Amino acid sequence: MSGRRVAAITRRLLQQFHRDRRTLALLFGAPLIILGLLGYLLRGGGDVPVMGVVNLDAGPLGAAIASQLERTKTVSASTMSEAAAESKLRSGELAGYVLLQSDFSARGQQSRVISPQIHLEGSQPGLSQTIVQAVNESFAALVGQAGGVRFAPQVMFVYGGPSFDTLDYFGAAFIGLVVFFLVFVITIVAFLRERGQGTLERLMASPLRRGEIVLGYMLGFTVLALVQAVEVLAFCLLVLHVHNAGNVGLIFVLEGLMAIAAVNLGIFLSMFARTEFQAVQFIPLVILPQVLLSGIIFPISTEPGPLTVLSRALPLTYAVEGMRNIMIKGADLSWSSLQLDFGVVLGFCVLVIIAGILTLRRRIA
Amino acid sequence: MAGETYAVEVDRVVKRFGSLRALDGATLRIRRGEVYGLLGPNGAGKTTLIRALVGLVVPDGGTVTVLGRPARNLDVLARVGYMTQQAALYPDLSAEENVAFFAAIHGAHHGVREALEFVELWDRRGSVVSSLSGGMRTRCSLACVLAHKPDLLLLDEPTVGVDPLLRVQLWNRFQRMAADGTSILVSSHVMDEAERCDRLGLIRFGRLLAEGTVPELKGKAGVDRLEDAFLKLSGTGAE
Ligand SMILES: Nc1ncnc2c1ncn2[C@@H]1O[C@H](COP(=O)(O)OP(=O)(O)O)[C@@H](O)[C@H]1O
Ligand SMILES: [Mg+2]
Repeated sequence: MSGRRVAAITRRLLQQFHRDRRTLALLFGAPLIILGLLGYLLRGGGDVPVMGVVNLDAGPLGAAIASQLERTKTVSASTMSEAAAESKLRSGELAGYVLLQSDFSARGQQSRVISPQIHLEGSQPGLSQTIVQAVNESFAALVGQAGGVRFAPQVMFVYGGPSFDTLDYFGAAFIGLVVFFLVFVITIVAFLRERGQGTLERLMASPLRRGEIVLGYMLGFTVLALVQAVEVLAFCLLVLHVHNAGNVGLIFVLEGLMAIAAVNLGIFLSMFARTEFQAVQFIPLVILPQVLLSGIIFPISTEPGPLTVLSRALPLTYAVEGMRNIMIKGADLSWSSLQLDFGVVLGFCVLVIIAGILTLRRRIA
Repeated sequence: MAGETYAVEVDRVVKRFGSLRALDGATLRIRRGEVYGLLGPNGAGKTTLIRALVGLVVPDGGTVTVLGRPARNLDVLARVGYMTQQAALYPDLSAEENVAFFAAIHGAHHGVREALEFVELWDRRGSVVSSLSGGMRTRCSLACVLAHKPDLLLLDEPTVGVDPLLRVQLWNRFQRMAADGTSILVSSHVMDEAERCDRLGLIRFGRLLAEGTVPELKGKAGVDRLEDAFLKLSGTGAE
C-alpha cells in the first residue's frame, strides 16, 4: 500500500472532474433541483382534491357533516345536487362526492349506524384516500354530539374499486415508464459510442442522409423496444395480474409510441454530450423530474399551480394519463381525453425526430 | 470538361478553430488516376484538409471541388472512400460485417471479399474487430473503403502500424489501383513513403509549401534528399 500511488489516483480523478465542469454542475446542482422540486411539490400549497357534498337529509346530522366538510382544509368541498355531482364525477371535475341520504339523521338515531355513500372517481388512489379520510374526520368531529354512533360509509367507485391495490394504479403508469426509460438510456449510450469510436464520422462522410441515419437507428431500436414492450405488458397482465379494463392493442400502440419518442430523444440529447459519462447524466435530469411531475405518484390536480403548467408541458404526463385511461377506465379512441393523450405523445415523437435530424446536421459542421 | 482533369481541387481554403488557423489558404490539385502524397508533420492540417473534401469540415473561406462538384455532394460521396486516421470500426462486429456495412451505406453489395483479400484479412473475416491487432484493424478500416470501388480514395495515414512487408504490398496495390483510374490521396508524416507517390504536396501550418513530383521538389530546393527539401521549403532549414 503506497499513500503516494493512492493519492495519484485521487488527484487524477479530481483533475478530470475539474476539466468536466458539466459533471461538477450535475453533482452539485441536480440534488438541489430535484429536492427543491420535491419540496415545492409537497409543501407548495397545491390544490386539494375537489369533492361534492349532496345533502338530502331532512334531519340535522347531514347539515352538520356538510358544513364540517366545507370547513376542512384537506379537501375543497361544496354542496350540490345529486345530478350535478354525478355528472361532474364522470367528467373528472370531482374526485368524489359524499351523498347523505334523506333518512340519514333518522337512521343514525334509530340504528346508531351512520352510513353515508361515498362515490369516488377512483383512478387516482391518493385523491380517493384523502376524500374518505376527510369524511371520516368530519364525522369524528361530530362524535361528541352524536354519542355512541358507529360510522360505516358505503364506498362506490366509478373506475377501479375496493379490490384495486396500489400495483393496479401504478402498474398502468409504470408499463409505459419502464419502456421509455430503458430505451432512452440504451439509445443515448449507443449513439454516443458511435461518435466516440469514430464511426459516426464515417457515416457522415458517406452518401447517407441525416434522416436515413436517424430513421435507421429508430427502426433498429424500435424493433428491440417493441419486443421489450410485449414482454413488459405480458408480464404485467399475465404474471402480476395488473388490472386492465381496456384494449391490449391500444396499450401496445401507446407503448410503441413512447419507445419511438425515447429513441429519438436519446439521439437528440446525445448530441449535447461529449462522452458516455456525460450522456448518463441526462438520465436523472430527464427521468426524475418527469417521474415527479407526470402524475405517476402525485396527482397533477393537486400540484401547486405553476407546477401544473410544467406537468402539462411534459409528454410523459400524457403517456401516463393515457395508460391509466386505457387500463383503469377502459378508454378507447372515441374518448376525447385519450385522443388528447395520443395526440400529444405522437406530436412529441414527431418533434424529437425532427430535432434529432436537425442537431445531427448542426453538430458535424 | 476542364474540371474533369482533376479529381480534387482545393483553392485557398481557410479553416479556423477559434484563433487557430488549421487551414490557412491551402491550395492543391489532384489529377485523375494519380497517387498524391500529402506530406507534413503532425498538426500540419492534413486531416482537416481531407475532412473538408468530404464535407465534415465547412471551410471559412476558399472553395473545395471533388470529382467536379462542390463539396459536399451526396452523389460524389458515393464515389469516394474516406479512411479515417483512427481505425473507426464497430468493435463488436466481425471484420466481414464491418466491411459489408460500409459497402452497403455506399450502395455496394459486392466486393467485400475482394476488399478483404486486398488487405489480406479474408482468413480473419469472422473475427470480431476488438480481437484484431492494431495493424489488422488499420487494414480492416482500409478494406471498408475499398468494397464500393470508389473513384477517389482519401487515405489518412493508412500505413501507420502496418508491418513493413505488408506496407510494400499495399503501396504496390495503391499504384495498381491508380493505374486502373482511381485517384488516391494518401497523407503521411513519414518521408520514405513519398517516393512511391506520383506527386507530392508538402503541407505545413495549413498551407501548401510546394507541389510536384519528387525530382521536381528536390530540384526546386536544390537538395538530394526529400527531408532536406521539406526543411528548406518550409523555411526551417536551420533546425
Ligand atoms: N475539431 C477541432 N477543433 C479544434 N482544433 C482542431 C480541430 N481539428 C483539428 N484541430 C487543430 O488543427 C490543427 C491541424 O490538425 P490536423 O488537421 O488534425 O493535423 P494533421 O492531421 O496534419 O496532424 C491542429 O493544431 C489541431 O489541433
Ligand atoms: Mg491527422
